[in-house]
Amino acid sequence: MIRALLRAQLLSMHFGGRGSIPSGIASAIWYALWTVAAIGAWYWTSHAGPELLGYNMPIGLLLACFYWQLVPILSASMGSSLDMRKLLAYPIPHGKLFVVDVLLRLTTGLEMLLLITGVAAGLIRNPANGWPAAPRILAAFVIFALCNLLCSSGLRSILERLLARRRVREFMAVVLVCIWMVPRLLFESGMSLKALGPAAPAIRAFGLPWTAAAHVALNESTLPSLLALAAWTALAGWFGRSQFERGLRYDPIAAQATPLSAKATGTSLADRLFQLPSMFWRDPLAAIVEKELRTLARTPRFRMVFVMGFTFGLMMWLPMVLGRHGERHGLMAHYFLTVVCAYALFLLGQVSYWNVFGFDRSAVSLYFAVPQPVSAILVGKNVAALVFIYLEVTILTGITLALRMLQGWSQWAEAVIVIGVCSLYLLAIGNIASVHYPRPMFAERVSQGGSASRFQGMVFIFYPLALLPVVLAYLARYAFNSEPAFWLVLALAAAIGILVYNLALESAVKTSRFRREQLIQELSQGEGPVISG
Amino acid sequence: MSTPAILVHDLKKSYGSKPAVDGVNLEIPRGSFFGFLGPNGAGKSTTIRMLTGLIPADSGSIEILGMTLPAQELEIKKRIGLVPDESLLFDRLTGAEYLEFVGRMYGLDRATAMARGRDLLDLFQLENNRKIIGEYSKGMRKRVAMAASLIHHPELFLMDEPFEGVDAVGARLMKDILNDQVAHGATIFLTTHVLEVVERLCDHVAIIDRGKIVTSGTLDELRAGGESLEDAFVRVVGAAQMTERLGWL
Repeated sequence: MIRALLRAQLLSMHFGGRGSIPSGIASAIWYALWTVAAIGAWYWTSHAGPELLGYNMPIGLLLACFYWQLVPILSASMGSSLDMRKLLAYPIPHGKLFVVDVLLRLTTGLEMLLLITGVAAGLIRNPANGWPAAPRILAAFVIFALCNLLCSSGLRSILERLLARRRVREFMAVVLVCIWMVPRLLFESGMSLKALGPAAPAIRAFGLPWTAAAHVALNESTLPSLLALAAWTALAGWFGRSQFERGLRYDPIAAQATPLSAKATGTSLADRLFQLPSMFWRDPLAAIVEKELRTLARTPRFRMVFVMGFTFGLMMWLPMVLGRHGERHGLMAHYFLTVVCAYALFLLGQVSYWNVFGFDRSAVSLYFAVPQPVSAILVGKNVAALVFIYLEVTILTGITLALRMLQGWSQWAEAVIVIGVCSLYLLAIGNIASVHYPRPMFAERVSQGGSASRFQGMVFIFYPLALLPVVLAYLARYAFNSEPAFWLVLALAAAIGILVYNLALESAVKTSRFRREQLIQELSQGEGPVISG
Repeated sequence: MSTPAILVHDLKKSYGSKPAVDGVNLEIPRGSFFGFLGPNGAGKSTTIRMLTGLIPADSGSIEILGMTLPAQELEIKKRIGLVPDESLLFDRLTGAEYLEFVGRMYGLDRATAMARGRDLLDLFQLENNRKIIGEYSKGMRKRVAMAASLIHHPELFLMDEPFEGVDAVGARLMKDILNDQVAHGATIFLTTHVLEVVERLCDHVAIIDRGKIVTSGTLDELRAGGESLEDAFVRVVGAAQMTERLGWL
């Protein structure tokens, strides 16, 4: 049964299609880097002394745990999981479905498995251990990995349900940010476990999964640590299974339904805002921008990523500026607004400009059925993406102002113009990508990320390329120590950007003409029993 | 004499080595209600998609309302209403917003598109509320799709399985609207599996099987000899009683 499930998924994955080669290359580079890191970990652990290992091993495993549990959420890409709506119709025992679901969690932690394998191999080779210690070391890491898999399964399930609820999902995004920020802010402010008083040594010894696993692997307090690790794993198993069962009983359609009270009475404020494009453009452009604004604003997946755009960037860079090591008026503070805006621009890409027809799915046919040129459709979608990008910039400006971190309006103008120039290049590449590598996106599936898609690998190549002209402007500023040099190069980058955008638009329109059939077909595709996210 | 609504000559389309449409010829007079029948996978949807310009033909010629495709594609699109088998609906818009959007894409101004959209929602008994299309039932989606095909008052309707998933009341309503359109001079090209619909509505019929037109003519010509349309259809496409092969069932 499990084999049949995995085979059905394999057959529905459409290997070997367009974009699979560049995506494969990007994946190969990514995992090659992690393999190098694993070899480094192997080398270090095979030579390090007990004191060094004792100090660093729990920290390393804590980071692995964080990567496994939180990075899929932060990157808005939660790996693969079972599509219960398709599978519940068949007489498959829940236990078997749970096993497959847990195994699929490996898709979000392959990097950590590589690292852990390197560490385990290194420890076995370490003169302090040797082959007789291999069963103990392997047991520690296998149980640790299992604990992470089970926890990850439960976490995904609970997040799927919470994020699918109307209004709760955006709130949840902020909560997640806070959860992630607390330890970082505590660390930056110099707090440590000592604040926990007498309980601190016990917690440090074996109270947490990563310390327990480290102690078992290093043969320190082995029995109590092993028991603690087993207890954590059992807890993670209970959490994963209970959340899985709750997920089976969950009805996402009911959770997302419009309340009965929501009658269309007159023109609401939101309606008036959505109609603003008509003040600046004429139809069909105004109609397309308006439709895109309405559609994206109501798309759970887009809203989630939009909230993440202005919160996760702050989460990553704010502690560097506000923490004990931070400099409120240093280099980082100077570029803070530009950096967080660029991060928001990057995040919005996967739900807007990289794949402009993604949320339309089979309805993309309408654009080819109506008497309007495809160029108007693409420009309309790009304008709508820009509206949201600059909405992010406005929100981030407001936060930066509230935190008194904005060092004058020239800093704001720099961020606004830099984001505009970057957007030109990204929209240009996005338009071409959208007609060459379209993929359907599911509006209600908030965890569906880009990493599982074929084009995602290419994003890692194109994003730095798109930023290159702006990076050159900054290099000019430092090389010549001159503001005019910076603005001159930036103006040049903008002029070239406009040219590149127009050429890319022309190319995308031509491609859409001769790839029309494939475009519609690819966007109308469904998924197998395992959903990629 | 006016040109035919649809004139197709030797139309071909293949997927790989498999011909989906293999030399189809059609001449559909203006003001007719034309039923295009065929078993699953016979080439009905592929033909209709080529007529709308959604997919290109490998060879052959298409004339719609006296204009050639693809040379006069935009002009043709302005004058046809389309209800395809797959969804053309944007799930995150309400019915009213969708109709307004489609109207504006066909060149109507916002006020006219909104007013016509409201009228069509009333006509198709769809509530004008904040419910988005993604929450609609299959029948409601078909009603919105049909309403959208009417908003710019086209001369020719191309409809692929428009009654699929629609309840009896909705189907009756849609049939009345289509009959009314034909009475006012519109032409309808319809594919359906429901032969009763064809018998009640259509005056001209063609049957396609494995990409080729196997028979065409008026409804009476097809039913010559007192056969029902179902019997004639089964005879023409060569379907036999096969359930006895499944001994285990």
